[in-house]
Amino acid sequence: MIRFRGASVVYGGGVHALNDLNLDIDDGEFVVVVGLSGAGKSTLVRAINGLVPLTSGSLEVNGVNVPSLGTRQLRNLRAGIGMIFQGFNLVNRTSVLNNVLMGRLHRVPTWRTLVGWYPPVDREFAMRSLERVEIVDKAYVRASNLSGGQRQRVGIARALAQEPKIILADEPVASLDPPTSHVVMRYLQQINRELGITTIVNLHFLDLATAYADRIIGLRGGTLVFDGSGADADADVFENIYGRSLTADDTMAKAASGL
Amino acid sequence: MRATSGEPATATVNVRPTRPRLGWFGPAVTAGLVAFTVVTIWDWNYGTGFSIREIFSVIGQKNPVIEAIGETDFGQLVSPRSRKKFVETLRLAVLGTVSGSAVALPLALISTRIGAPNRAARIAARTISNVVRALPDIVWAMLFVAAVGSGALPGLLALFLFTIAVVTKLTADTLDGIDTGPVEAAKASGARHAQMLRAAQVPQILPAYASYVLYAFELNLRSSAVLGIVGAGGIGERLENFRQFQQWDRLWAIVVMFIVVVFVVDRLSTLLRRKLG
Repeated sequence: MIRFRGASVVYGGGVHALNDLNLDIDDGEFVVVVGLSGAGKSTLVRAINGLVPLTSGSLEVNGVNVPSLGTRQLRNLRAGIGMIFQGFNLVNRTSVLNNVLMGRLHRVPTWRTLVGWYPPVDREFAMRSLERVEIVDKAYVRASNLSGGQRQRVGIARALAQEPKIILADEPVASLDPPTSHVVMRYLQQINRELGITTIVNLHFLDLATAYADRIIGLRGGTLVFDGSGADADADVFENIYGRSLTADDTMAKAASGL
Repeated sequence: MRATSGEPATATVNVRPTRPRLGWFGPAVTAGLVAFTVVTIWDWNYGTGFSIREIFSVIGQKNPVIEAIGETDFGQLVSPRSRKKFVETLRLAVLGTVSGSAVALPLALISTRIGAPNRAARIAARTISNVVRALPDIVWAMLFVAAVGSGALPGLLALFLFTIAVVTKLTADTLDGIDTGPVEAAKASGARHAQMLRAAQVPQILPAYASYVLYAFELNLRSSAVLGIVGAGGIGERLENFRQFQQWDRLWAIVVMFIVVVFVVDRLSTLLRRKLG
């Protein structure tokens, strides 16, 4: 359960990234957040795991009030929240397995990670996470030798290795081509349905959003302007979210064909 | 955003700019450097007393040191005392490099903006590294000889500090340029600070760090020749000894031996570093 109440984030320089947000997300939901770049999508997602602190208001995640957490409690919270990034954020110079093991850091004693000696249980869990995104054959390959789509699957495996209750995906397919984007989105959907992990995905292509979202949240200038099912989100709704008429660049299929 | 239709979007963009005028900074610095050099060389009251004529007159003179090159006493290469000191030099270089590098890695990690657990730790790490670097290794060696007496120990301490200085500086500079994505990923996964450093930063700089350690070893091997001159152990003691007794033939043997060892180590180290690339 994620509950925003009057949540605002103001960055230095007076930019209102999030404006008096009230939002409830239930366990097991698959939510897609849409909006133009700068609309506050990233801020919303990063507020949930405390990477971006709220300026005012409250935010409850799984029963704990995020703004009041100390360093250690914040780490505990983050351990239960997997995160997937636009730029994958893998360590390119090390193996896929080592990257996925990063998702186990919270459960492994510090001295073991310092000498690089992870317990067999954790290595096994990392392997199983790789199996779920069907890339376990690359376990000992350097991350730099993978394609973009493969890297993002490793990113998903790393998040899964945390055994999370929530997965946050910040523009997970923005660096990928359309077919690969669909592969990655399908893995996220499958993980949500089979493991019941609450999944929140930022997207800016509206055809991708409607194809995968159970629920769409629209942000404009940090303010919530739409909250409804994927089926309810038609062209008018998106024009309202974007604050302008739609162009070919707003859908992945058309943007790709126009290249 | 797209341009509205009917308006040629590139009209104001596709114009060649005028070539920017040359700034004053580059020419001014060049002129300053030239003037500084001329003033330094010039033979006046505050000059260096440098004269080209003197160089030529010195070259023409007979010189016992130079003449001894032809009589190099290669017997020194197998003399037990010289050999012992040579082994000591190698040991000093290895021990100094290994111990210094071991301290340098964590020190470098906490001396960067993204790697420091807090401001105080970063300032402390930077200060240690700056203070150590301020003095050349030979001065550290003199201070340690004064403090703990002559022998290999002050030499080892000097090389230890010198290695910390070199490797910390180079590694920290490399750390400043790493990809911060994995750092964010580690933080988002609830990792502790030390774990983040180990899992997200160390793998990124490990090849560079290994290369710096080898480089420090090359430097330390050379330094250990100088250390003996101030009584801090190693082959330098033999060099200094032969110099005092003007045994130039023997001195040259040590020099030859040293050149050979440094050359071999340099080649090996360069090969290894290239592999690390």
